[in-house]
Amino acid sequence: MSASIQGTHLVGGISRGWTPVRPIHRHNPPFLRAGRCLSQALRCQGASTAAETIAKARVVRDGGTRDASMHHLETERFSALDRVSILSEALPYLQRFRGKTVVIKYGGAAMKDPTLKAGVVADLVLLATVGIRPVLVHGGGPEINIWLTKLGIEPNFKNGLRVTDEATMDVVEMVLGGRVNKSLVTLIQQSGGRAVGLCGKDSDIILARQMVEKEIGFVGEVTGVRSDLIKTLVADDYIPVVASVASNGAGQALNVNADTAAGEIAAALQAEKLILMTDVAGILHDRNDPSSIYRVLTLRGCAELVGQGIIAGGMIPKVDCCIRSLSQGVRATHIIDGRQKHSLLMELLTDEGVGTMITG
Amino acid sequence: MTVSQVRGAGVQGGHKERYAGTEYGGKTNFLVDKTRLDIVVVRSQVDKVIQTIASTTYTGEIGDGKIFVHPVADVIRVRTGETGAIAERMEGGMSDRTS
Repeated sequence: MSASIQGTHLVGGISRGWTPVRPIHRHNPPFLRAGRCLSQALRCQGASTAAETIAKARVVRDGGTRDASMHHLETERFSALDRVSILSEALPYLQRFRGKTVVIKYGGAAMKDPTLKAGVVADLVLLATVGIRPVLVHGGGPEINIWLTKLGIEPNFKNGLRVTDEATMDVVEMVLGGRVNKSLVTLIQQSGGRAVGLCGKDSDIILARQMVEKEIGFVGEVTGVRSDLIKTLVADDYIPVVASVASNGAGQALNVNADTAAGEIAAALQAEKLILMTDVAGILHDRNDPSSIYRVLTLRGCAELVGQGIIAGGMIPKVDCCIRSLSQGVRATHIIDGRQKHSLLMELLTDEGVGTMITG
Repeated sequence: MTVSQVRGAGVQGGHKERYAGTEYGGKTNFLVDKTRLDIVVVRSQVDKVIQTIASTTYTGEIGDGKIFVHPVADVIRVRTGETGAIAERMEGGMSDRTS
């Protein structure tokens, strides 16, 4: 996306009376239609879990109930020629990012809702199929809380950070590295991708130092990333799925923030993009007005917005993570709304995107 | 302009620099990979060059680097043997465009 001039304009406009930048609404941008064409086989109605959705879709795709099901699917509007033309139009976008690594931090509502989950997995597999190399990093706060409660442990938070004693750390490690991680891997496999589930402890992918000064137990600050394993997997067309459990280098597991982990992994891989999936549309000028979204921001622009209090609360750590990544050489970072269908494809494969892009 | 790959470090009062996802500044990894630019321009263009470099490479994080300005006694173009201001001057450069 080449919109740095737009970004400068936004920065200049902020202190002199901000004018919202209206998103350019292109009806049916080519790749959204192509995305729908390609992923139409991976969506059905009436599935209650993501796995069921994908299982049902497989039947359709493999031609089992093609005639009956096609009737309900979106591509009945498109002729065969249409579909192929759309794909052909999408070629420049695909070529731009072919072979490039994209680190996606997966979280929020998109991680809980089965339909959204299936959608994200489908988009991921599509990217991998066209030669863009996704790496998925995930956390899983809500799932951890569920299991802590089941085991009779009280979840405890201090200043937004989870107080992680030994018992809690065990559960965090099991839930993130086991349950959440493997369910994602399974979904990707079901959709035709080749996924490998890892956590930060595997081959020291994420090294961290315990933040003893904060007195919240086994919570860590990322100090290093050993990316050899991920590079090997990505080069062999696997999709690594990394859980945000880190090692302290001496065998102790540490709980790290998934956004930070994703940012540092992106830096270590010198990724083309870092994409953070959240539950907001992006960086908004007015938090109640989704159309007041900043499409492009520069580093200085971000610093100004933080100073003015427009970027506040939970958005600050995410923006900090983006800034850190950018300063270490990641080409662009994006904050997108995971609740929106195909948000991942739209951000990557259209000029205007759907979220906020922060560039250097 | 000459570009070289070097290794360097500053000591930021204990704060660590991040590079490729790893913290630097400890005893075992003190030096970080950096890029060094050597640029010689006529006095009147120095400020413009500094401004351009500083604004494009700014990140706000530790590790952005420093710019040192020093005088150059002479410039000699090897191919033609020219010296001084003529040797520094580049055809199609800023002074050609503004004059």
